[in-house]
Amino acid sequence: MGSEPTRRQHYAQPRGLMLVFSLVGGLLLLFIALPLLRLFGAQSAASLMRVAAMAEVRSSILLSVEAALLTTVGAALLGVPLAYLLARSSFRGKGLVEAIVDLPLAVPHTVVGIALLFVFGRTGIIGAPISALTGYQFWGSAGGIVIAMLYVSVTYTVNAARVGFEAVDPRLEKVARTLGAGRWAVFLQVSLPLAARGILTGLTLTFARSISEFGSVIVLTYYPMTAPVKIYDLFLQFGLGDSSAMAALFLAVTLSLFVLFRFLFSPRRDAEKRRG
Amino acid sequence: MSAPAVSVEGVSLRVGAFALRDISFSLAAGETFVILGPSGAGKSLLLETLAGFYRPSSGRILIGGRDLTEAPPEARRIAFMFQDYALFPHLTVAQNVAFGLRFSPRRKGAEPLDALLARLGLEHLGARKPMHLSGGEQQRVALARALAMDPTLFLFDEPLSALDARSRDTLRSELKTFLNRAGVPAIYVTHDQLEALALADKMAVMKDGALLQTGCPAEIFNAPASEAVANFVGVETVLEGKVLSVSDGMAAISVASQVLHVLANDAAKPNASVLACIRPEDVALARTTHPGSSVRNQFQARVTAVAAAGPLFKISLDAGFPLVAYVSKQSYLELGLAPGADLIASVKATAVHLIGRAS
Repeated sequence: MGSEPTRRQHYAQPRGLMLVFSLVGGLLLLFIALPLLRLFGAQSAASLMRVAAMAEVRSSILLSVEAALLTTVGAALLGVPLAYLLARSSFRGKGLVEAIVDLPLAVPHTVVGIALLFVFGRTGIIGAPISALTGYQFWGSAGGIVIAMLYVSVTYTVNAARVGFEAVDPRLEKVARTLGAGRWAVFLQVSLPLAARGILTGLTLTFARSISEFGSVIVLTYYPMTAPVKIYDLFLQFGLGDSSAMAALFLAVTLSLFVLFRFLFSPRRDAEKRRG
Repeated sequence: MSAPAVSVEGVSLRVGAFALRDISFSLAAGETFVILGPSGAGKSLLLETLAGFYRPSSGRILIGGRDLTEAPPEARRIAFMFQDYALFPHLTVAQNVAFGLRFSPRRKGAEPLDALLARLGLEHLGARKPMHLSGGEQQRVALARALAMDPTLFLFDEPLSALDARSRDTLRSELKTFLNRAGVPAIYVTHDQLEALALADKMAVMKDGALLQTGCPAEIFNAPASEAVANFVGVETVLEGKVLSVSDGMAAISVASQVLHVLANDAAKPNASVLACIRPEDVALARTTHPGSSVRNQFQARVTAVAAAGPLFKISLDAGFPLVAYVSKQSYLELGLAPGADLIASVKATAVHLIGRAS
């Protein structure tokens, strides 16, 4: 009896530093959540229904989800190998490679879009020959959307997957080799499953970043419209009414997907404990 | 005489700050070779080179007559036991043990996995994940996983060093039983002298990437070939003896012409061959015997050599067997310790550590 209430008191009544930090933290949470709550709160059922009934709105939301999923797959295929290299080997110029990986985070997204035009656009060094050879055009197609999304979001996959691989004890890989597994088998059967949570965390962030991307997409590929572009389009044409209704609709979709992924891939305690 | 099971010939290599210098030794079938050395001696590098993670710049590695110097790790059939056993945390015990079979089919007539699990007392743990196992169970899973691939050589990289003293003793004796039965040659590296004495059929002292001396344990401990070896192993007196009798928790051990009375442990079985180990700081020296003393072992001894050892003096004695003592400078002066001086050397029964020998 004696020590129990004291201890509870100790934890239950934050004083001083913890109290101040709790207040500051609470303010920050409010800052993040309030605008979104207001956005939902400002909508009438009628306007939501009306916007949801518009075929262009529905197809743009679907296009956003599809392109973001495709981007996430691309990020997994392209980002995981580099993440493994960065986690497992040291080489000359590694610092430069790391800086290049982080670069998209520092480049304004409109600038990304313009820079991508020089490569994948009508006269771009890749866009022009591919268009000439196959007829496929990155501008005005889903391909351009995915490329813009990938550019701004793949960093998250590389960095999170790298942390995941670094947490895998290299001795597990060594012991697997002595048991007869070649390098590919070790990667697929030991390193990859053990780094899976880190990789999935990165892919979740990549997905979230992709689906919310606007600046680089609108420069590289105005049409077909992704949801953020369509929202901007509605805003320019009809003001806050329809655009905010669609914004609320799109936000509901992205948030539910984000929460679902977080729930599926969040590190569980037992898996964390023995990851090394 | 048949060819050695394992033959390492002049292996040299440099990796960063570590190096291997002209490592040569050979092992007979079933022999356990303990490499004793301080950390940084290159012990782990040697094991990883034998396992195929590094290519020697010169020298050859032959196992079962096959030259494996250039073979990748997955083609060597060498089992590697890491300090924490490196069990796959995402796989169950049964999947861990069967891991090697994903890559090469089982040899015909090999022991079925069920039988292997049962033999190591793991049959009820097959569905568990490694994190739910005790240290002893983890060691047995790692051994079973290695055995399932029918290894030609076992490598142990200080597998017991992370454990507390009690589990270390238990696991060491489990390991010894295992190695005696498995009949597979093993190389075991450690910095722990007791571990070396307990497990070695043959041992070597390693320093700065070279094997300084190779031989049987008693030889290395009592007749170090160089000062470097002596400095590393010279802290113990190691005596070969035979257990005469065991009663009331005490054992009488014949050592040379003398009898030591010691606290009995697992190794103290009548007629068993043992090594009796005595730390130099546990040897007390005096001019005369104390009639009322409770110390069981008192021997007439003659000083054979005196050497300064840091703040202490290292006194080598002939007590009917070789014995080493450390004394303070004050005792050194008071007792007039010089070669030829006669003294009484005494050792408490609790200060003698018995290690069983495979006889």
